[in-house]
Amino acid sequence: MGWRWWSGQQQPADSGTEIVFSDVSTRGGVLTSSLRSEPRTFNRWVNRDFATDLISQLTQSKLVRVNRATQDVEPALAETWTVSPDNRTFTLTLREAAWSDGTPFTSADVLFSFQAIYDPKANSVLASSLLVGGRPLAVTAPDTRTVVITYPGAFGPGIAMLDNLTLAPKHKLEAALAAGTFPQAWGVATPLTELVSLGPFVLTRYEPGQRVIFDRNPRYWKKDAAGGALPYLDQLVLEVVPDQNAELVRLQSGQIDMLQQQVRPEDIATLRPLVDQGKLQLLELGVSTDPDLFFFNLRPAKWASDPRGSWMSRKEFRQAISHGVDREAFANTVFLGAGVPIWGPVTPGNQKWFSPNLTRYGFSLDKAKALLAGLGLANRDADEWLEDEQGTEARFTLLTYRGNSSLERGSAVLREYLRPLGIAVDVVAIEQGALIERMLKGDFDAIAFFFSSSNLDPAMSADFWLSSGSGHIWNIGQATPATAWEKQIDDLMHQMMASVDHAERKRLFDQVQNIFAENLPALYFVAPRMYISASARVGSISPTILRPQVLWAADTITVRTPASTGQGGR
Amino acid sequence: MGRYLLRRLGFAVLLVVVASSASLLLTQLAPGDITSEQALALDPAARARLRAELGLDRPLAAQYLSWLGGVARLDFGRSLLYSRPVNSLLGERALNTAVLAVAALIVATAIGLPFGVYSGSRSRGLGRSVVRGLSIVALSVPPLIGSLALVFLAARTGWLPVGGMTSAAGMDASWARWLGDLARHMPIPVLALALPLAATLERLQSQAIEKAVREPFVAASRARGLGHAQAIIRHAWPVSLRSVLGLYGVMIGSLFSGSFVVEVVTSWPGLGRLMYDALKARDLYLVAGCAASGAFFLAAGTWIADALLALADPRVRSQEAP
Repeated sequence: MGWRWWSGQQQPADSGTEIVFSDVSTRGGVLTSSLRSEPRTFNRWVNRDFATDLISQLTQSKLVRVNRATQDVEPALAETWTVSPDNRTFTLTLREAAWSDGTPFTSADVLFSFQAIYDPKANSVLASSLLVGGRPLAVTAPDTRTVVITYPGAFGPGIAMLDNLTLAPKHKLEAALAAGTFPQAWGVATPLTELVSLGPFVLTRYEPGQRVIFDRNPRYWKKDAAGGALPYLDQLVLEVVPDQNAELVRLQSGQIDMLQQQVRPEDIATLRPLVDQGKLQLLELGVSTDPDLFFFNLRPAKWASDPRGSWMSRKEFRQAISHGVDREAFANTVFLGAGVPIWGPVTPGNQKWFSPNLTRYGFSLDKAKALLAGLGLANRDADEWLEDEQGTEARFTLLTYRGNSSLERGSAVLREYLRPLGIAVDVVAIEQGALIERMLKGDFDAIAFFFSSSNLDPAMSADFWLSSGSGHIWNIGQATPATAWEKQIDDLMHQMMASVDHAERKRLFDQVQNIFAENLPALYFVAPRMYISASARVGSISPTILRPQVLWAADTITVRTPASTGQGGR
Repeated sequence: MGRYLLRRLGFAVLLVVVASSASLLLTQLAPGDITSEQALALDPAARARLRAELGLDRPLAAQYLSWLGGVARLDFGRSLLYSRPVNSLLGERALNTAVLAVAALIVATAIGLPFGVYSGSRSRGLGRSVVRGLSIVALSVPPLIGSLALVFLAARTGWLPVGGMTSAAGMDASWARWLGDLARHMPIPVLALALPLAATLERLQSQAIEKAVREPFVAASRARGLGHAQAIIRHAWPVSLRSVLGLYGVMIGSLFSGSFVVEVVTSWPGLGRLMYDALKARDLYLVAGCAASGAFFLAAGTWIADALLALADPRVRSQEAP
């Protein structure tokens, strides 16, 4: 994955290549970006909203980091490590570093972080991402600079799993954990002097509803290639701009240097004149790894007493729908052409795990109609819809997020595609919380939805693939696999997660993808191409398709001052 | 008059309690709660613990009664979203909205009333037609479009900041510079709010003046030798204010509670945005607090308008006298 100029003079980079835009190494300056929603807390251990996560990425560090551009594991606060022959025990040597208040960072902080995350009273949202086979990691600290982490079983991603661990300062949060008030600690009302940082920036000001301001952390441990201190920026400002149109106008007028999220396809034409004038950069990051998906309720209990169950829970019905959608036209309508057809959850954007050889359901109304006829569905009356032999109409309700434009547009387009097949779709857009609630209760026919991933290794999203997983959304949390193909996927995923040989893991995961494509528990039509935009004065950025696309590497970003560019800036 | 205003005050308190209670109960009854968004990241046991910690596992009646007990002590509870007292969140945001609302009301009054008097006191003419046409345009444009158009204008010209309440550097500046910074950020949201209100006032004032100039006492004043303009200002306008002041109450309330679109588009950190965030996250106590604020301002606006009306029009006082 990579990026290229909008002009198309440079193509997206090959897999595993990190390209850094501009070699500007200007030190100092202020970068202003936007934030669509405010942080609900500064406590990343108990909350995963985007703003909280972004603030955590700017102010905290990890033991190891998965480079978002190359997907390689890089040392961070763990300077070096060794792995035991059984690939289960990692011995990490910690870097000499200090929190922003001067307190040394030691192995006690690492132990405390695990303790807090695994403490049931803390209700940490990070806990599930640090389990192997549902069991926690065992962590010991022989001395202040050594940590030994033992996995309960072999785990394919290995030490990359520690990228999920946000380190917590023991000296600041130990009392809250002991008192059972950890979830309330580091709330947005906490005096900012109480927050300490291990990352490139220190949170110095929070103006509710307006902005979050960070100053460079003079004690940040990381240096650039020349041994110079990082970060380059003196200050980073995140302006809270809830409206996407207003956010775009601010970028155009130079009041912010970059958008925090990707540019919508419909906004590209708006930005192009400024790109041509050299005031803005518009970069294509590649194909999104988080495509919208569409799935039916596959819980047996849902269809036990519903006459539609005899055909709606059959894979042939889903295959017919897949044949009935012209993906090229779908991309043109929903994403204004900025999308590529896909046939499974792993998109070409995830080059390490993408399988190009999946079963493809090409656009064919004839094939779709034949599959539906095979299910006993035919038009038995004067209207345009199919009925089964009992006269039950081929109709279902499709729930989706209200306010998510691609999902709402995609649902409407899908309804129109299924009309010629004789399938009626009632699209209902509801708010996010209600949608998730109905999904968890199994109270739905079908849902159009999206997941946001922060890691591209499928072993790190096992909840989606495993039948017992909380992310196995078509039939969540099964005690035993409900179908033979789900058991097959479970078995293959367990083998894949336990293997440390990448080629073997890829081979096993290709099989998983093939079984998925055959049974289509979720349908995928198009993955959008992603673009970001930034002011021409912003340099040394290495954007990726994973969020946050630019600020994941905020420590190396530079800005040109007006004097050096001759531009007005803000 | 005292009894009249006291009765209106009782109505205001009732309005606040009913509006906030209804908001809390409706938010609670809708599917899902504040933990729904994290439901896919938490196992069921962890989510149950979280719900218990937040008190969401208690029966609805128990939650409501405990909240109502707090309201009686003017404590609207603790925001589930921000883990902060609702009162403190409302305080900081209401002040921001108040700055916007008061400025918009002044601008709307300064534009709407004089133009209303002007257009209402003329039976024909180009000026009257132009004023009426502009008012209809301002009334027809939805707040979202109006706000975006003003933001776009600011962006194109570069004359004013396109959003926010202050700039990042403003907070470090002296009071005078901070006020100057605030003033530079105000025109866009203030105009977005004020223009439709000014148009409403102009139309209302215009019709009221038209009616008032037909009253016998205006004709009598002209017969006594008073000029047209003086007769309008001294006799017709005070009488016409009755219907205009009646609207002010609703306008004040709607400015405080209904400026949501403008606040979102112009990134103004006020009550409207707070309510929107609270609703999205299903933070029932914050929703109820925001609804209470909106109802309070509506009631206060109506109460102030009633008081002004009673002061301006002796007939109101005489009707309310025992």
